[in-house]
Amino acid sequence: MVMVAMMLLLAFTSACSDAGNEDETAENNTTPGVVEEGPADPFGKYDQTITLRYGKEVDPTDKSLPAGDTPENNQYSRYVKDNLNIDTKVTWQAATGTNYEQKVNLAISSNDLPDALVVKDTQLRAMVKAGQLEDLTDAFNRYASPAMKSYMEKTNGVSAQAVTFDGKMYAIPSIQVQSDGVHQMWIRKDWLDKLGLEPPKTMEELENVAKAFVEQDPDGNGKNDTIGIAGQQNGSRLYANFLESTNNTYGLDPIFGAYKAYPGFWLKDNAGNPVYGSILPETKEALAKLRDMYANGLIDKELGIRKAASESVVNGNAGIFFAPWWMGYGPLPDAIKNDPKANWQAYLLPLDADGQFNAHMGAPSTVFVVVRKGYEHPEAVVKMLNLLIRDESKFDISVPVGHYPLRVPMSYMDESEYSAKALQEVLAGTKKPEDFTDPGYKLLAADIQNVKKVKKEPYDNMDIQYWDPQADLGVWSRIYSLLVGSSSLQQDYNKVYSLLYSQTRTMESRWSNLKKLEDETFLKIIMGAAPLDTFDTFVNDWKKQGGDKITEEVKEYVK
Amino acid sequence: MRNRSFIKHYYIMLLPGMVWLLFISIIPMFGIAIAFQDFNPGQGIWKSTWIGLENFEYMFSLNDTKTIFFNTVYIAVMKIAGNLIVPLVFAIMLNELRLMVIKRWVQTIVYLPHFLSWVILSGILLDVFSYTGPVNGLLNIVGIEPVLFFARADLFPFIVVGSDVWKEFGFNTIIYLAALTGISPSLYEAASIDGATRMRRIWHVTLPGLRTTIVLLAVLSLGNVLNAGFDQIFNLYNPLLYSTGDIIDTWVYREGLLNMQYGLATAVGLLKSVVSFVLIIVSYLLASKFANYRIF
Repeated sequence: MVMVAMMLLLAFTSACSDAGNEDETAENNTTPGVVEEGPADPFGKYDQTITLRYGKEVDPTDKSLPAGDTPENNQYSRYVKDNLNIDTKVTWQAATGTNYEQKVNLAISSNDLPDALVVKDTQLRAMVKAGQLEDLTDAFNRYASPAMKSYMEKTNGVSAQAVTFDGKMYAIPSIQVQSDGVHQMWIRKDWLDKLGLEPPKTMEELENVAKAFVEQDPDGNGKNDTIGIAGQQNGSRLYANFLESTNNTYGLDPIFGAYKAYPGFWLKDNAGNPVYGSILPETKEALAKLRDMYANGLIDKELGIRKAASESVVNGNAGIFFAPWWMGYGPLPDAIKNDPKANWQAYLLPLDADGQFNAHMGAPSTVFVVVRKGYEHPEAVVKMLNLLIRDESKFDISVPVGHYPLRVPMSYMDESEYSAKALQEVLAGTKKPEDFTDPGYKLLAADIQNVKKVKKEPYDNMDIQYWDPQADLGVWSRIYSLLVGSSSLQQDYNKVYSLLYSQTRTMESRWSNLKKLEDETFLKIIMGAAPLDTFDTFVNDWKKQGGDKITEEVKEYVK
Repeated sequence: MRNRSFIKHYYIMLLPGMVWLLFISIIPMFGIAIAFQDFNPGQGIWKSTWIGLENFEYMFSLNDTKTIFFNTVYIAVMKIAGNLIVPLVFAIMLNELRLMVIKRWVQTIVYLPHFLSWVILSGILLDVFSYTGPVNGLLNIVGIEPVLFFARADLFPFIVVGSDVWKEFGFNTIIYLAALTGISPSLYEAASIDGATRMRRIWHVTLPGLRTTIVLLAVLSLGNVLNAGFDQIFNLYNPLLYSTGDIIDTWVYREGLLNMQYGLATAVGLLKSVVSFVLIIVSYLLASKFANYRIF
């Protein structure tokens, strides 16, 4: 009953605020002097202070803000105020992840929007459809800095396409490094060394190593408490999908990859037609193996149930997990605080039967900055992002840059691999800092300057004992992520892209049901709560309950 | 004259409640319209496209609908039964205690969990029933293999009902204890003079004395039957438990808020309201028949 009342109340308020917004828009159209022509200064400071209200995502575990500072008022918001004369106000804040998403959904459905927000693809689409967004075409064309434009161009139009509807640009897309989508194997090398093992190359070796981690007490505490492979937490993804294609920490993506299975992605079949990866035989094969491994105790028993998957890594109970390159930012700082010998290293493993590493690749843009229809200064968000790109390397990142108002990641798509290579070359002495001049790699100059602060000799050995995290944990986070996480990405691997990274029409109403069916079935199969052949029932149901129709739409889209 | 001014005061006391009802329950009812629309928040209720019964057709075509209605009723009925019987038995047992100090202590301790929210309690439950938690520790001592409680859809309803009864029975006991004080001691005296044992006295004096209260509580809870406890289940469940744990409220929340399926979620919510409405009427009729309870 309460829920119903809430839904209804929500709808009612939206009906009310609707009328309010219209007035504002009308007022706006009559304001003279808003539209000017020609390029403008991307970093121009407003003569008079303008106010920008936004909804903020806050990491509740983050304790980095100095006393007196708040998510609303901190070094970054003051930087924006000083340099652009934009006064940023936090209308509401919500915890990172699902909480924030729900709060945004609530804001969308009640039509009660702050001036600007960071949203996901599905939310962007809903907002465009609802006519809630300001057209940013002019603001972008006139105010975007050359750096931002060049990042956009490097995606070959993919990012621009993601935010353009009927020829109008309705959001500023994030441009993420493509390695955010590549999920690697992070493994405790100190455990491997202790048990006399090598990093597992094949699935068979992976099973052996995981078995050894579980049974041979690698942490030496005399208790039978170690986990082979950590799994995702309750509410997280078993594998990345075309709508959430990057940053899937603790998912089991590389194991699917080892079977050439790409569940959650739209692929081309042999005839060249689109097909959904989750319903293919390769996925069933991978599920069968995962089911087997789970039954043998090699994967975290509490897969999909834990409140926080990071727990087992931080506490030093887990030996393997799968995640992108940036683990040095988290959970590893906490892991080495608990155990300075936790030697986490990253590899592009396990390989498939042909000896190849298969990675599904993410979309270059997964989050978007949008501006409410009728906001007087739509260019303000462009200026703020310009400033972020230009000055990010100067910031003191002991306070995470996530506190920058409306921050979305923006960089060249190869930034992490390129920076890793550059650092290696500088450390090896084959290149000099001056050899790297492209300012688009905005953090590289600072990285090169700082690298020797935290990396001890020998420079080519990445084991944890040759690092000095205490010297500067902020710098260590980044450099360790690059040199350990991104270095392995320089080798050749098979890159698999999804045919699309956003929703088609029928998906808007049918996808949530299909997705639920998929999550439930796969988790049950792996954990042994349903027989493997449930997979075949799932495929049938999936097709019948809208999957076939959606596949047709994807076919249309790809044409 | 005196009577009339009494009545006036009653109406004034009624006023805040009526205002609350108007704003929280009646005005938002217009939002039901969303169930018949392809709702677009930017356009609001007045301008969104009307699509007739399409949301309802899709709702009935979903396997989920059957599941969530069944789960809701199943869990709620078990909860109602548990929340009636356990506090009743407990109250009678407390009533028989002659040591007042112990009685007060026990009463205080058992009603404490009532004041904790499900957010906190669910965290505790997840830990207690986790793979390495104390419950599995105990099972281990008796030689039973550890059970992954929150992966077992077959056990989930029992955990939900059990923990709810555990949380609330102490508080519900108070109602019965209050009713017990209303039973005239002379009845007990008369019964003992007639030679009734303790069990006989409970059977022939205490229980009949509580009859109205029991029936009233049972009947009133019928109107609540479709509220199986959003807070609790939402904080405890995961996709493995959908088949037995997903209830109407959690489903509406996921579809409506997380997946932005406003029309569909409202349609399901509306169906729930209709069923609840019928149940309230039925329970009111039953209450007036068996417990002589009437509002009008």
